[in-house]
Amino acid sequence: MEKIILLIPGIPIFIAFMLFFVKTKENIPRVSIVLSSMIALLALSGSYYVISNDRAITGFNGLLIYNELSAILVPYVAILGLVIRKYATKYMWDEAGYKRFFILLNFIFASIYLLVMSNNLIVLALAWQLMSVGLYLLVSFNVGSQTAVKNARWTMYIHKSADFVFLLAVILTYQTFGSFDLVVLKEQWLIMSANPIDDPMIFAVALLYLLAAMMKSAIVPFHIWLPYTSEAPTPVSGLMHAGVVNVGGILLNKMAYLLILSPMVLNIAFGIGLFTAVFASMLMLVVPDIKRSLGYSTVGQMGYMIMEVGLGAFSLAVYHLIVHGIFKASLFLESGSIIKYARKDPHIPERLSHKTFEKENTKYKSSKTFKLIALFTAVPVFVFIGAKAILSPEFFEFNAAIIILAFAWLTGAQLFLSFFKVSKLDSIKAIVGIISSFALVMFTYEYIGLALEHFLYGKDALLFYEAASLNITFLILLVVFSFIMIIGGLFIYKQHVVDVAENRDSAHKSKWSFYKLLVKEGYYFEIFNSSKKGKL
Amino acid sequence: MIINILVFLLAGGLPYYLLLEKSDKFSSKSIFVVSGSFLLSAVILTFFIDKEHSTPFVVISFISALYSIYKATKTTNFYKLAYYFIFMNAPFFMLFEGQGAFYSLSLLVSLLGLYAIACFYEKHYGSANYLYVRGITLATPLVGIHITVYLICIGLYPPFPNSLFFLTYIFNSEADLLWFIVVITLYIGNFLVSMKVLEKSIFGKTNPNIHYVDFNFKEKVTHFIIIILLTLLSIYGIREILLWVL
Repeated sequence: MEKIILLIPGIPIFIAFMLFFVKTKENIPRVSIVLSSMIALLALSGSYYVISNDRAITGFNGLLIYNELSAILVPYVAILGLVIRKYATKYMWDEAGYKRFFILLNFIFASIYLLVMSNNLIVLALAWQLMSVGLYLLVSFNVGSQTAVKNARWTMYIHKSADFVFLLAVILTYQTFGSFDLVVLKEQWLIMSANPIDDPMIFAVALLYLLAAMMKSAIVPFHIWLPYTSEAPTPVSGLMHAGVVNVGGILLNKMAYLLILSPMVLNIAFGIGLFTAVFASMLMLVVPDIKRSLGYSTVGQMGYMIMEVGLGAFSLAVYHLIVHGIFKASLFLESGSIIKYARKDPHIPERLSHKTFEKENTKYKSSKTFKLIALFTAVPVFVFIGAKAILSPEFFEFNAAIIILAFAWLTGAQLFLSFFKVSKLDSIKAIVGIISSFALVMFTYEYIGLALEHFLYGKDALLFYEAASLNITFLILLVVFSFIMIIGGLFIYKQHVVDVAENRDSAHKSKWSFYKLLVKEGYYFEIFNSSKKGKL
Repeated sequence: MIINILVFLLAGGLPYYLLLEKSDKFSSKSIFVVSGSFLLSAVILTFFIDKEHSTPFVVISFISALYSIYKATKTTNFYKLAYYFIFMNAPFFMLFEGQGAFYSLSLLVSLLGLYAIACFYEKHYGSANYLYVRGITLATPLVGIHITVYLICIGLYPPFPNSLFFLTYIFNSEADLLWFIVVITLYIGNFLVSMKVLEKSIFGKTNPNIHYVDFNFKEKVTHFIIIILLTLLSIYGIREILLWVL
C-alpha cells in the first residue's frame, strides 16, 4: 500500500494532461491546487512511513525510491509547489498563456520529484534533462519579450551543457562500477571507502558530477543564467530560486559516497563554493535591480551550499537548501509588493552608491555599552563552539570544523550586529535578550542540523568530514581563522559602531574602483560581449 | 561491402541534396520526400540485414553532417531544415548500424511532423519560411505546441523517443574516439539547430500584418497521428531502456 507514494512523480503529469481538457479558466488553478494538495499529503504520509518504520519505500523494479533524502525533500517541494500554484492563480490571471503556465509548472514539478526519488542513474538522467527543457519553456514564458527569450537561451545552453556532462558522468560511472542502481553503487562506494585507491577515473567521474551540479546550481562561472532570468514570471522565479537551483545539492547528496572516494573533488568544491559565496554576495549588495539582487543572493547561497558539500557537511547542504528555499521563495513572492511600495517611497531600496560616495550625514549615537559590546563579534564563536561541544563533540576532530566555525561566526556576527543597529537600545536588558535569543537560535539550528545528519547518513556522516579534511594542520587553520576574524571584526566594528566622519564629499578612489568592479558584475558580460562582438 | 555502400547512400552519408538543390526539377519539398524515403528504406533494410559499421563511411558521413549543420543554421525554411536534419544524423545511423534504426525511425517521424508544419506554413502563409511568421505561441497556441514538440524531440530531450533511443545506444556501446566525436557533435548539433529554430519560429510578438490561422480538422488529425506515433515510439524506447537497465 505504501508503494502508492512512488506515484508522486506521475501525478503532476496527470494534472498537466487533465489541464489540456479544462475549458474554464477558473478551473485551471482549482484542478492544479486540489491535485497537488494530494501530492503534499502523499509526501507527508510517505515521510511519516520512512521515519516511523526506519526503512525506504522502493518500487518499479528499484527505479524509484522514497528514502530519507526523499522524505525530507519531497514534502518540501510539494508544499512549495502548492504555495507557488496558489500564488500564481491570481498573479498570472491576466497573462496570456494561463493554461500553458500551469501545464509547464506541473511538468517541471514532475521532473523535480522524479529527480529526488530516482534510484537509478538512467532515471536520474531523464529527470535531469526533463527539468532543463521545462525550465527553458518557463523562463521564456513571456514569449513576446526579446530579453526573456535571450535569457532563456542562455539558461538552456548552460543546462544543456549540464545535461551533457551528466550523461558523460553516467556513462563513465557504468563503465567504472558496472551498475546504474544507486543503492548498489552506494554499497560499493562505501566498501571502497574503507581502502581508498587513487584512481584517476573515479576522480574524473566525481569531477563530472560536481561540474554538472555546479552548472545547474548557478555556481561561478556558470552563474549567468540565474540573475538574468528575473524577467520570468515571479512564481517561476520563486520556483527557480527555491527549487530548481537546489538540484545540484541534491545530486551531490546522492553521490556523497562517491565523492568521499575522491577527496580532491571535495576540496575543489570547497574552493569554488567559497569563491562563489563571497563574489556573488558582494554583487548582490551593489546591483540596482531587486530581482537581480535576489538572483545573486541565491548564487551566493548556492556557493555556500557547494562549500558545505566540499567540507563533507552533506546534510548541512540539504538543510541549507531547504531553509534558503523557503526564505527565498517568500522573498520573491513578496518582491512584487515591495516594488509597489518602493514606487511610492523614493528612499526604498536604499542606494548603496549614494550612501558610500555621497555626503553622509547619518551619525550613530554610539554609547559606551555598545562600544564594549564591540567584543560581541566573539560571542557567536562562543555560542557556536558551545552548541557544537554539547551536541556533537566529535565534530572538532575534523579540520572542516574550523571553516564551518569561521562561517558561523561571520553569519552570526552580521546578524548580531544588525540586531544591535536596529534596536538602538542602550540597555543591558536588550543586550542580554539579544544574546540569549541568538544562543537559542543557534542551539535550535544546530540541533535540527544534527538530527538531520543522523537521519540522512547516521554514522557515515563522520566519513564525509574525514574525507573532506584539508591537507593542512588544525593550527594553521586556526591562525587563518583568527586573522579573518580580526580583520572582519575591525571592519564590522567600523561599519556598525564607530561614528562615521562627516563631510566626506570626495569618493575614495580604490573604493570607487572596487565598487565599479562589483556593479559591473565583475566585467563578466563586458568580456563576453567583446569576445562575441556584442552579440550576447 | 555493397550493402554498406547502399546503406551509406540511403541514410544520407553523402550530401546529395547539393545536386538536387541545383536541379530545377526538385523543390525543397520533394528533396525531403526523396531523402526521407531513402532513409526509411535504409531503416527497413537494416531490420533484415546485419552489417558492421565501416569507419571510413562514418568519417565521410560525419564530414557531410558537419556541412549539413552549417547549412541548417543558415536556412529559415522548414522543408530544407527537415532534410538537413536527415543528413546531420546520418553518422549516428552509420555508427550504430541496426541499433541506430529506431533512432532514425523516430527522427523520421518527428521530421514528418516538421514537414507537415512546413506544408501548413506554405498553405497559409505563402511559403515554408518561418522567420517572419513570429509570435505563433500567442496567436495560434496549438501550432506552437506542435512545433515545440517536434523540435524538442529533435533536440534530443526526453521523454521523446529520439532521446530515449539515443541514450539506449550510447549507454549500450563501446566508446572510442570516433564514437565520442560523433556522439558529441550530434548531441550538440541537433540541440543548437533545433533551439535556434524554436526561438525564431514560436517566440516573439504577434505581427498585426499577418492573418494567423490555426490547424483545421484535417491538419489536427495529421498531427494527432504523428504525436501518437511519437508516443508509441516513446513507450517502446522506455521499454528498451528499462529492459537493458534492469
